[in-house]
Amino acid sequence: MAVVCTASRVLTKKILSAKALLAVSQSSRKLHFSIYGKNEAKVSDGISTQYPVVDHEFDAVVVGAGGAGLRAAFGLSEAGFNTACVTKLFPTRSHTVAAQGGINAALGNMEGDDWRWHFYDTVKGSDWLGDQDAIHYMTEQAPHAVVELENFGMPFSRTEDGKIYQRAFGGQSLKFGKGGQAHRCCCVADRTGHSLLHTLYGRSLRYDTSYFVEYFALDLLMEEGECKGVIALCMEDGSIHRFRSKNTVIATGGYGRTYFSCTSAHTSTGDGNAMVTRAGLPCQDLEFVQFHPTGIYGAGCLITEGCRGEGGILINSEGERFMERYAPNAKDLASRDVVSRSITIEIREGRGCGPEKDHAYLQLHHLPPQQLATRLPGISETAMVFAGVDVTKEPIPVLPTVHYNMGGIPTNYKGQVLTYTPEEGDKVVPGLFACGEAACASVHGANRLGANSLLDLVVFGRACAHTIADICNPGEKLSPLKPNAGEESVANLDKLRFADGSMRTSEIRLNMQKTMQNHAAVFRTGKVLKEGCDKMDAVYQTLDDIKTFDRGIVWNTDLVETLELQNLMLNAVQTINSAEQRQESRGAHSREDFKDRMDELDYAKPLAGQVRKPIEEHWRKHTMSTVDPKTGKVTLKYRPVIDNSLDAEDCAAIPPAIRSY
Amino acid sequence: MLSVLVAKRLVSGVCQESLRPAVVELVTTRGYKGEAPDDSRGDIIEIPLPPWAEKDGETMDIKRRRLLFQSRKRGMLENCILLSLFAKQYLNTMNEPQLRQYDRLINEPSNDWDIYYWATEAQPVPDVYAGEIMDLLKEFTKNKDQEQRLDAPNLEYLDKGSQ
Repeated sequence: MAVVCTASRVLTKKILSAKALLAVSQSSRKLHFSIYGKNEAKVSDGISTQYPVVDHEFDAVVVGAGGAGLRAAFGLSEAGFNTACVTKLFPTRSHTVAAQGGINAALGNMEGDDWRWHFYDTVKGSDWLGDQDAIHYMTEQAPHAVVELENFGMPFSRTEDGKIYQRAFGGQSLKFGKGGQAHRCCCVADRTGHSLLHTLYGRSLRYDTSYFVEYFALDLLMEEGECKGVIALCMEDGSIHRFRSKNTVIATGGYGRTYFSCTSAHTSTGDGNAMVTRAGLPCQDLEFVQFHPTGIYGAGCLITEGCRGEGGILINSEGERFMERYAPNAKDLASRDVVSRSITIEIREGRGCGPEKDHAYLQLHHLPPQQLATRLPGISETAMVFAGVDVTKEPIPVLPTVHYNMGGIPTNYKGQVLTYTPEEGDKVVPGLFACGEAACASVHGANRLGANSLLDLVVFGRACAHTIADICNPGEKLSPLKPNAGEESVANLDKLRFADGSMRTSEIRLNMQKTMQNHAAVFRTGKVLKEGCDKMDAVYQTLDDIKTFDRGIVWNTDLVETLELQNLMLNAVQTINSAEQRQESRGAHSREDFKDRMDELDYAKPLAGQVRKPIEEHWRKHTMSTVDPKTGKVTLKYRPVIDNSLDAEDCAAIPPAIRSY
Repeated sequence: MLSVLVAKRLVSGVCQESLRPAVVELVTTRGYKGEAPDDSRGDIIEIPLPPWAEKDGETMDIKRRRLLFQSRKRGMLENCILLSLFAKQYLNTMNEPQLRQYDRLINEPSNDWDIYYWATEAQPVPDVYAGEIMDLLKEFTKNKDQEQRLDAPNLEYLDKGSQ
C-alpha cells in the first residue's frame, strides 16, 4: 500500500509541476472520499486528484471563532441563517481568552456618563485617524451591546445595588476630557474574554450553528470581484473543504507574530489579512502597531504596569534608573508610549542589557518580598517560568512588545469590506465582511485605548450579522462557482508540503521577526526603515527556498506553521513598507526624523488664515496597501479619513486638535 | 458601604488562605491584574457546553501528532510557550494512559488560564485533572534548572532526517 501511495504521489507530483491541476482523472491512485457537514456536503472532483475535496453550502460562513467571529456567527444563526464557523482553534481557546480587562460602555452606573464623551475619548485616542462614523456607531451601540451580552448570560461583576460594576481605565474621561477620570469598563471578574467566548459559543449552539473546528482556512473563493466562500484544510484528516456562501465574514484576529517579541499567542498570524491580500484586495493602516513597554524579553509575556505602580524601576546596563532623565516627574509611570520610546533610546545608545545589549531590566528586588508576594504574585511565577529569574534576587529582562494591530481589512461601519479609488470613492466588495482585530473600521485609528478592543469585537461582530440580515434572506440560492475554484490554494499547499529547499521554516520566520523588531519597532527612522524594507524583501524571496520536513497530511503542524509563515510574511512586508512611506509621527507610529503630526491644517496654531493642504501633501489619511504575492512588491495608495459622524445633530464630530493628556 | 466591602474581602481572604498558605494578607490571587470583583460563574453554570469526549479509533501516533498541534496553539502566550516546551520534553515518550491524561488536561478545561494557574500552583488542581501528567507539568513549570524560556521551540527537534 505504501509503495503504491509513493508511486502515485510521484506521478501526481509530476502532473502538478507540469501544469495547472486541471487534469481531473489521470491519477492512478484510488481516492478515499469522506463526507462531512450536515447539509448536502458534496464531494468534488473539480480541483485536485490528490486531495479529497468536500463542498458545503451555507447562507453565511464566518472565519475565526474569537469574540468577533462568535458574535457574528451567533447573530446570524439567531436571525435564521444557516451559518458555518470555520476555525483553526477550539472557540474557547481563541486569543480573546487572554483578555482580562473588560469592555468599555457608557452605562453611567458609577457616575453620570454620556456615550458622546466616550466618542470624544476614542476619537482623540485615535489621533484623528479613526473614522468618526464608525466610532459614533461603536460608542453609541456600546451600552446596548453590553446589556445584550448580559441578557445572553454573561455574568458581569456587580455593584452593591446590583448594577453592572464599572472600573477606570486609561484614556477614558468625562465631559469631553474636562471632567476627570471616567469609570466605563465593565468586566466579568478577571475573565471577561473567557466569559465572552463561553457565553457566545454556548448560545450559538442552541441556534444550530455548524462549527468546523481545527480547519485551517487557506483562501477566499473570489470570482469577478465577488466573494463566494472560503477554502479550508481539515487538519484531522487532510481533506480540503470549500465552504460556498453569499456572505463570508473574516474575524481572524491580529498578526503580532511578525515580530520577535509580542504579547500575542502563537496563533496570531494574520491569516485573514493574508487571504484578503492574496485576493488582490487592500489592507489598511498596517503600519500602526501598538507597543506595550514591558513584555518579558524574548518570551514577550506581558508584565503589567502595576509592577511599576508598586515601585518597580527600569534600569539600563549601567544600573541607572534612566526614566528620571526622560520623565523627571512621572519617571517610570509615564505614559506607555513615552516609556517605550525611552527604553528604545537607551538600547540604541548602547546602554542595553544582556550579552547582546538589546533589552532593559525591570528591577523589583529592592521591594520587600512580602509586598511582592501579596501584591504581585503572578509576576514572580511568570518571571521564574519564562525568564528563569528569581525576582527577589535579580531583575527581569524587558523590552517594548507588540501588543495590538490597529490596522487590518478596511470596512465601513456596517462591517462591509471596502476598496477605494479617488474617482469612485469607497466601494463595497460584495459578499465579504470583516470584524474584530482583523478589520479596520477604523475605530482605533493610530492608537487604541484599553478596553475598547473587546467592545470593537462585540459591536462589529453584531454589525456584520445585522448587515447580512438586512441585505439577504436565509435559504437564497447560491450563484454558480467554477468547478476548479481554489485550485491555486491546493497547489500551494501541496508545494509547501513537499518543499525541499535549503532554509527551514523556523529560520525564515526568525529572519522576518528579527528584521521587523530591529527596523520597524517603537522608534522608526527613514534610513533604518529603508534598510528594513530591503532586508524584508530579501527574506520574502527566501520563501521560494523553504524546506519542510513533515510530509504527512494528518495533523501536520509543520505544514500549518509554514502556511502561517506565508501569511505573516504578507503582513510584514505591508507593515514595514507603509511605515517607511509615512513621514510623520501619529499615535503609535513614531518617527525620529518626522516628529510631528502632519495634518491638512496646522492645529497647533490659530486656524484663521491657514490654507488647507490637498490630500497629497499631508498625512491625515489611511494607507491602503496591496502586495503581489509572487514578487512581494508592495503598492501603497491612500484614502481619506471619514470626519463626519453618523448624525451631526445627535453627535457632533470632533475637529482635529493637538493631542495632549 | 465600605464596611460591607471590607467584610466581603475578609471572608474571601479567609477562604483563600487555605488555598495559598504563604499569603497571609487579604488579597485575591489574581489581584495583580487589577481589582478582581467576585465571579458568580453564572455563564458556566447556566450555559453548559457540550461535554468533552475522548476521540475513538486514534492510533497513538496520530494522537501524538494531534496533541502536538494542540499544545502549540493555545489561547494565550504563557500557555503556548509552557505547553510546547512541555510537549517537546515529554510528548514522544508518553505511553497510552499518559497520552489520554494529557489529552484531557489540555482539551477539556474551557478557560486556558486555569491550566496556567494549576501548573504554576496559583490555584489547586481539581481532582479530575490530578495525576501523573499534572505532577510532571507542575514540576516542569517550576523550572528548577532555571533555564531561559524565551519562546516556544521550533519544530525541527522532530525532524529525524536532520539527526
